[in-house]
Amino acid sequence: MSTAAAVEASSMPRKRFSGLRGVRWRIDLGILPSSPSASIDDLRRVTADTRRRYASLRRRLLIDHHPPKDGDASPDLTVDNPLSQNPDSNWGRFFRNAELRKMVDQDLTRLYPEHHGYFQTPLCQAMLRRILSLWCLQHPEYGYRQGMHELLAPIVYVLHVDLDHLLQVQKPYEDCFNDEFDGITSPENNLFSNYKVKRASDWDSGIETENTHHIMSDGRSLDEIDPDTRDILLLSDSYGAEGELGVILSKKFMEHDAYCMLDNLMDGAQGVVAMASFFSPVVGSSTNLPPVIEASSALYHLLSIVDPFLHAHLVELEVEPQYFALRWLRVLFGREFCLEDVLVIWDEMFSSSNCRLIGDDVEYNFKVLCSPRGAFIAALAVSMLLYLRSSLLATETATTCLQRLLNFPQNPDTKKLIEKAKSFQELALVSNIVPSSSQRDSNKGRFRVSSGYSLPSGSAFPVPPLHVVPDSYWEEKWRVLHKDEELGEQSNSDQGSAKKKLAEKLSLYRTKSEPLKAKSALNQSSIRQILFDDVSSDIGAVENHVTSACCEAPINSNNLNVGDFPVVLADQRSSDWIGDETLLSGDNSVVVSKFVYPHDIGNEHEIDSVKSSVTSNSFLSDNDEETFNMEEPCSQNVSNELAQDAEATSSHVADAVPDQRETPIHWKSFAGIFQWFWKFGRGSNEASRESQSSSDARHTNKDSFDTTTCEGTDNSCGVNKRIEVGDKKMIHTLRNLGQSMLENIQVIETVFQQEKGKFDSLDNLSNNILGVKGQSTAITLKELRKVSNLLQEM
Amino acid sequence: MVLVLAIGDLHIPHRAPDLPAKFKSMLVPGKIQHILCTGNLCIKEVHDYLKSLSPDLHITRGEYDEDVRYPENKTLMIGQFKLGLCHGHQIVPWGDLDSLAMLQRQLDVDILVTGHTHQFKAYKHEGGVVINPGSATGAYSSITYDVNPSFVLMDIDGLRVVVYVYELIDGEVKVDKIDFKKTATTQSAH
Repeated sequence: MSTAAAVEASSMPRKRFSGLRGVRWRIDLGILPSSPSASIDDLRRVTADTRRRYASLRRRLLIDHHPPKDGDASPDLTVDNPLSQNPDSNWGRFFRNAELRKMVDQDLTRLYPEHHGYFQTPLCQAMLRRILSLWCLQHPEYGYRQGMHELLAPIVYVLHVDLDHLLQVQKPYEDCFNDEFDGITSPENNLFSNYKVKRASDWDSGIETENTHHIMSDGRSLDEIDPDTRDILLLSDSYGAEGELGVILSKKFMEHDAYCMLDNLMDGAQGVVAMASFFSPVVGSSTNLPPVIEASSALYHLLSIVDPFLHAHLVELEVEPQYFALRWLRVLFGREFCLEDVLVIWDEMFSSSNCRLIGDDVEYNFKVLCSPRGAFIAALAVSMLLYLRSSLLATETATTCLQRLLNFPQNPDTKKLIEKAKSFQELALVSNIVPSSSQRDSNKGRFRVSSGYSLPSGSAFPVPPLHVVPDSYWEEKWRVLHKDEELGEQSNSDQGSAKKKLAEKLSLYRTKSEPLKAKSALNQSSIRQILFDDVSSDIGAVENHVTSACCEAPINSNNLNVGDFPVVLADQRSSDWIGDETLLSGDNSVVVSKFVYPHDIGNEHEIDSVKSSVTSNSFLSDNDEETFNMEEPCSQNVSNELAQDAEATSSHVADAVPDQRETPIHWKSFAGIFQWFWKFGRGSNEASRESQSSSDARHTNKDSFDTTTCEGTDNSCGVNKRIEVGDKKMIHTLRNLGQSMLENIQVIETVFQQEKGKFDSLDNLSNNILGVKGQSTAITLKELRKVSNLLQEM
Repeated sequence: MVLVLAIGDLHIPHRAPDLPAKFKSMLVPGKIQHILCTGNLCIKEVHDYLKSLSPDLHITRGEYDEDVRYPENKTLMIGQFKLGLCHGHQIVPWGDLDSLAMLQRQLDVDILVTGHTHQFKAYKHEGGVVINPGSATGAYSSITYDVNPSFVLMDIDGLRVVVYVYELIDGEVKVDKIDFKKTATTQSAH
């Protein structure tokens, strides 16, 4: 009876061999061919090949250091004696192997004690030890790290379970398989195999005899059996292709199979997620972070998209993701769930392909999120965090928070967790891509990600609250996107550079006002140019790695502006930023999808919002995936595009993000306005001074995270947008700009007052920051006033 | 795969200040499981140093040892082999093979390790193996001044023992290897 097989057949759509986890995983991990048309014979051949490779590897590495015969060409004794210091000597290798085995043993003795019946048996332990030692010898650059055994254990377990399953399936058909002819049994048929817990004596796969009570009717050909059972039987037929070596479910070759699976899992099989990289402290080539740190940041990134409030809370408690994510990621959640749940999770994980989804030239934020499997891992981590949401939010210190995280509850609803993870998986994949249509855009996107993580390090720095972003961060803005630069960077960013930037920013503010006045006599375009220039320099880009020639200034300022936001935000709760997704009425609805610190505020999106007199609840969606076609001078086209994008993202985000505060909106939109200015200037190839002032205003705006209105900004944005069309409108624009600036300044001032009061309730860090900002804010406000007056007179 | 170090007759500090540097660099802790020391260390510091190389240290008393509590003879079992340890100044004539064989029969060991002559020797003899690790510091002996520093490392693996001899000749470490097999039934080496 093939109950299991029958069950499998009934569920549609089903994957091949879904009843056999071992086979299924081997297909998913890339060992066995995954095309549905691969015949059983093909599978068997591939299996046989992998097993041969392992056998030769084993023979080669587990050498006997004793020369077999005394008369052999004996190796040079000065090198090959036991005390030799020479690392190449056989003895040296022997000692290293011995040490390796000792380390592995330490871990193995503690492996799955609750399943001691299987994992703690000497046979199983010996096999695990061999596999791990061989893998580590084969990959000396990784060595043995604690946790690798936990990756191997479920693999071995599923192979073992498969064999059990095979037994079950074969029971009714054993008559077909035993080599009983003429009623005379051959000697090897008397071997039993008993998979329940005890080690079994060797048995030839497919040939077994058991005391059966029922005798199957003979003459039942294989064709009459349902396909699943038939597949299973064919897989284990010892007379099939490659003979016994090709028997896919084989006890004899369990070690070989387990090694191959472990190898593929660790290497990633040319995919993106290579588990071995999680164990290595070596920094990734494209990022400056160890891959596991990068992956931890990836999951925080995803969390900030999905649940910014929780993310902000964790960040505020200074709970770095790798504190708990290290364990989660390195053993793929093996330590958080019981073995059965782990198997289910890994089923899901392996069924997502590991192929890199985005092209080589597309910039991405996190390497680990480049493949569905990596995205699933991150998504599952996020869903686990959400599962603990309420208790995490209730924790007050990092220690209690970590306690909660590291002691994941015993019996979570795994199904739900997986479903949630699947829903986030797509989001993770999408959020990983940064639009690369223009350098600037990518930079902005870059910002988004990087600034998102400036908070953790920012809060760790006592003095320079505003600038957590290190120099290299700014550099990257201009280059092809790098994803996690900031993650590593921010934690390592030197305070010095941050302070410097802050100082620069502040000083620039002051200087800006001077030239502004002086240039009041200049024509608009030149003024605009100056403004733009000032803004760019001002906003704090210490290094302007301007890549695009003509739009240098605007770009700089753009990026700078964007960059400012993270800084500011750093002080504030990111939760505040989780924009509400309020769609703006009008054709350009801008939705703030707050998954990361505002960054770009989606300047492009901003433009859309400008159209409508947006209420304070207009956010710019800064989804990276949107391609910001910033180059397009035509605002209309762009805005339309953006609008659509925004809508798309906003709707998407809307689902994910709970209700948000409004406060960040204001300055976001405000920032967006400024960004728009950039575009504006760029379009006309001029830098406008207004941007400078606006950037000032924006900067001050940053402080106010609970600004309540941004109508002014919205209006100005709307106004500005229109102006883009032609010079004639510029004047009008400038005038309006001046007006809006004035309004904004008022808003800012009021907000500022509120802030001051509000900040008292915040932690000291924010207060300090505010204190610093307060002064600069006041100054900038004054200057902004001047600028706006100026503009109005135009 | 048991590594046993046979060493002795260091005569520190009376006749030699310390082990040769090259020997010292080779003797690192962690590799050697047992140490058989024939005697004449002579002071406690040398004892401590040897103890740091391996926790299992066996010493027999030499005539110049300052610690009087060491035994005259010692026997122990490592793997399939019975090993005997004695300084050798008690066996007269010093270094005489037949007399040493008598001691070996008396102790009923497969491998007998003695010293005192400060000359490396390794005999297969009737019922067993007699090994003299020489002087590890090259200290002069009562018999001769021309002594090369030497010691012996035995690799006991089942019924087979591989003897590695390390000698310092003209400032260079020379290694030699001798194989001995014990036949399980006859209890005789080789």
